[in-house]
Amino acid sequence: MKKTTITLLAALSLTSTLSFADYPTKDIQGMIQWGAGGSTDTVMRSIAPHVEKELGADLILTNKTGGVGAIATKYVNAKKADGYTLLMGAENPQMYKILGLSNIDYSDMIAINVLARGTPIIVANNDAPFNTMQEFIDYTKANPGKVKIGSTGKGGLTSIVLAMLDSQVKLDYISIPYNGDGPALTAVQGGAIDVMPAVLGATIEQIKAGRMKAISLVDVKANKLLPNVAPITDALPGMKSYLPWGPFFGVFVKKGTPDDAVEKLQAAFQKAAFNPDFVDLMQKRGFTIMNISGEEANYFLEAYRSTSSWLVHDAGFSKFSPEKFGIRKP
Amino acid sequence: MDALHYFAMSWLSPELLALTALGTFLGIYVGAIPGLSVTMAVSILISFTFSWDVNYALCLMVGVYMGGVYGGSRTAILLNIPGAPSAIATALDGYPLAKKGLAGEAIGLSTVMSVVGGFVGIIVLAIAAPPISEFAITFQPRDYMLLGILGIMLVGSLSGSSLARGIFAGALGLLIGTVGLDPMTAEERFTFGVVELWDGINPVAVMIGMFGISEALHQLHHMNKAVVKQKISRIIPKWSDVKKYMPLSLQTSFIGVIVGALPGTGGDIAALMAYDHAKRVTKNPKVPFGEGAKEGLIAPEAANNAAVGGAYIPMLTLGIPGDAVTAVFIGALFIHGLNPGPLLLIEQPHMFWFTVGNLTLANIFVLIFGLTGIRLFSKIVECPKGVLIPLIFLLSIVGAYAINNAITDIWWMLAFGVFGYFMRLYGFPVGPVILGVILSSLTDENWRRAILTERGSVSDLFINMLQSPLSAVLFSVIVLILVSKTPIWKKVFKPKIKS
Repeated sequence: MKKTTITLLAALSLTSTLSFADYPTKDIQGMIQWGAGGSTDTVMRSIAPHVEKELGADLILTNKTGGVGAIATKYVNAKKADGYTLLMGAENPQMYKILGLSNIDYSDMIAINVLARGTPIIVANNDAPFNTMQEFIDYTKANPGKVKIGSTGKGGLTSIVLAMLDSQVKLDYISIPYNGDGPALTAVQGGAIDVMPAVLGATIEQIKAGRMKAISLVDVKANKLLPNVAPITDALPGMKSYLPWGPFFGVFVKKGTPDDAVEKLQAAFQKAAFNPDFVDLMQKRGFTIMNISGEEANYFLEAYRSTSSWLVHDAGFSKFSPEKFGIRKP
Repeated sequence: MDALHYFAMSWLSPELLALTALGTFLGIYVGAIPGLSVTMAVSILISFTFSWDVNYALCLMVGVYMGGVYGGSRTAILLNIPGAPSAIATALDGYPLAKKGLAGEAIGLSTVMSVVGGFVGIIVLAIAAPPISEFAITFQPRDYMLLGILGIMLVGSLSGSSLARGIFAGALGLLIGTVGLDPMTAEERFTFGVVELWDGINPVAVMIGMFGISEALHQLHHMNKAVVKQKISRIIPKWSDVKKYMPLSLQTSFIGVIVGALPGTGGDIAALMAYDHAKRVTKNPKVPFGEGAKEGLIAPEAANNAAVGGAYIPMLTLGIPGDAVTAVFIGALFIHGLNPGPLLLIEQPHMFWFTVGNLTLANIFVLIFGLTGIRLFSKIVECPKGVLIPLIFLLSIVGAYAINNAITDIWWMLAFGVFGYFMRLYGFPVGPVILGVILSSLTDENWRRAILTERGSVSDLFINMLQSPLSAVLFSVIVLILVSKTPIWKKVFKPKIKS
């Protein structure tokens, strides 16, 4: 009896080492933090076929939404660390700890690839009585409590851009939350809100068509796609200390995943992210390709977490101090 | 001329024609399985068709969309499990028809009227897309709030004999809908610290339980009741019937297009509003509503298919999705290198007519596939209960799991099934519960956006509401409906109408 058990165990361990050696031996599950049709979804679905080609295995994508991505993050970390379950997410987990949403962020996972970074932009309704950042600041100061700014909930891009703004100039406006930037940008066009900070890629087509106007680019220099929009540092030089900053998309696995699997995944994603189709797609939408992994990715992720956490904390809407989690001051 | 060329593109190419047919066929079955949503099917197809030419990919996806919206009615009529929330209203009168042995006729009629609705949607899309999308985006949070309230008032139509019980059920639904992270402040509501509850209780899980499982339990309770033999002699509806119901189905189709074109509402709310409309305009139904009135079957079916064309209106003209499925279509266009947005019509003018032509084609396939195989499907209802009841359980469980690949949803579904069974046993209608769940977030979020806009001042909200023509109209409609249902109104006006 004992003997058979031992043989069985030996056989099992043998097969498992074998399967690691041949990773991947089965389909890989990709859990997308956000819903179908959103920007994270679109980015992941457009890189997946290239990754499949590199890995020679199917990548099955599922949208597992909820809790600003915390449900997918929790799900992936509850699975075996075997490299067969990937977390495909955006920047949100980096805020989970200080907002009290979850005790897992990207520093508790292995970065396979940080694919790209977006640039935030501040847009306004065409009828708004201001066209530049300075005019917007002056108007809001002259009309306290009049300007309606859309937001997408605490910890989202909008809240962080507004926190940056708040650190430079105190403004009195009405903040109206929406479920994601899609509905909020529709509201900008319909006039339900006046101003909205969003990612450049989500607004570019509307700006080009003249359906909303760009007030300011939240970056240190102008963007090729919108050369006439001044960077925010022109009006608020103090913003330089936070920028460039932007939301990002990345692929992660649970800590403890065998090195072999991690290396293969990193290699596959790196090659896939260089694919001209993918690069072209991302650039058209105003995303900056990053395609980084390992130490470089960890450095980027840590910098993002540190800047954003302290901004949010100083603006007064964090649940816990970043110090509690050992997040350094930028 | 160019328009015609692009319109006919998918008709003339054998490959595109075949893909549209295949998509529609698949869509009908995906749509019929509760929990498998059209949104999910279309997003899976994005990865699947990634390397294809964009037209090929679109044909397959448009077919799935059109077929899927129609397919939801199948299981609603046959098993009382709506395939999607937009088929809830279909189940209310469709299933009673099946229980009378008229499943074949019900499916036939719902197919024809779905197709009529589909065409109305497509025609409106083709001729009036730009003005309608401009109108749709002017809806302010307070207008959505008023629409939500208008929707909640449908409880009156879904209640059956006792309004008090209906209101109770509707309020319960609203309460269920508030579970989860507060959409405005991300504060937890009724979650008891459980992360799985952050996203709330899925309305589809509630729906499958309340309709499907409670029906299975109900049948277990009445095991001795003989199985009804289905009359399958007539499937294609009588011409006289089609003619008779045509005005109603046209009216409800227009409700469908407009509600579908609004970025904040979709086919589910359209179908329920259409049902309510049918109930209001049909003075003397041959069969009472809720017991198999054909008007109650065709109104939601025409409306939810018309909402497909409606949802495309803001998507093709402005790049704003009209519902969850068109949001995925926008993603698909982006992945295929097109720039979905307000410039799409200028940069890719063929896209518009190609889509219109393709939708028309898919709609014709709905008619063809919808009317074939009905005889076989009607037999499902004739299955012995020993087969039928496990089948309902199986479909419900698979469906609940498929929503979000979560076991939690299965438990919710089962719990609401048992609860729904007891509600029915004690004469509480289940329709208003689902209504409440669907409308809860729409009303809640937009009420709060509206009041935030006014900095918390209720009087300002009312003043602005009455100053905006759109809000004023919606507000008056609500007041009128409310007043017309009060005893005073009836005393004053009813005798006059009768004399």
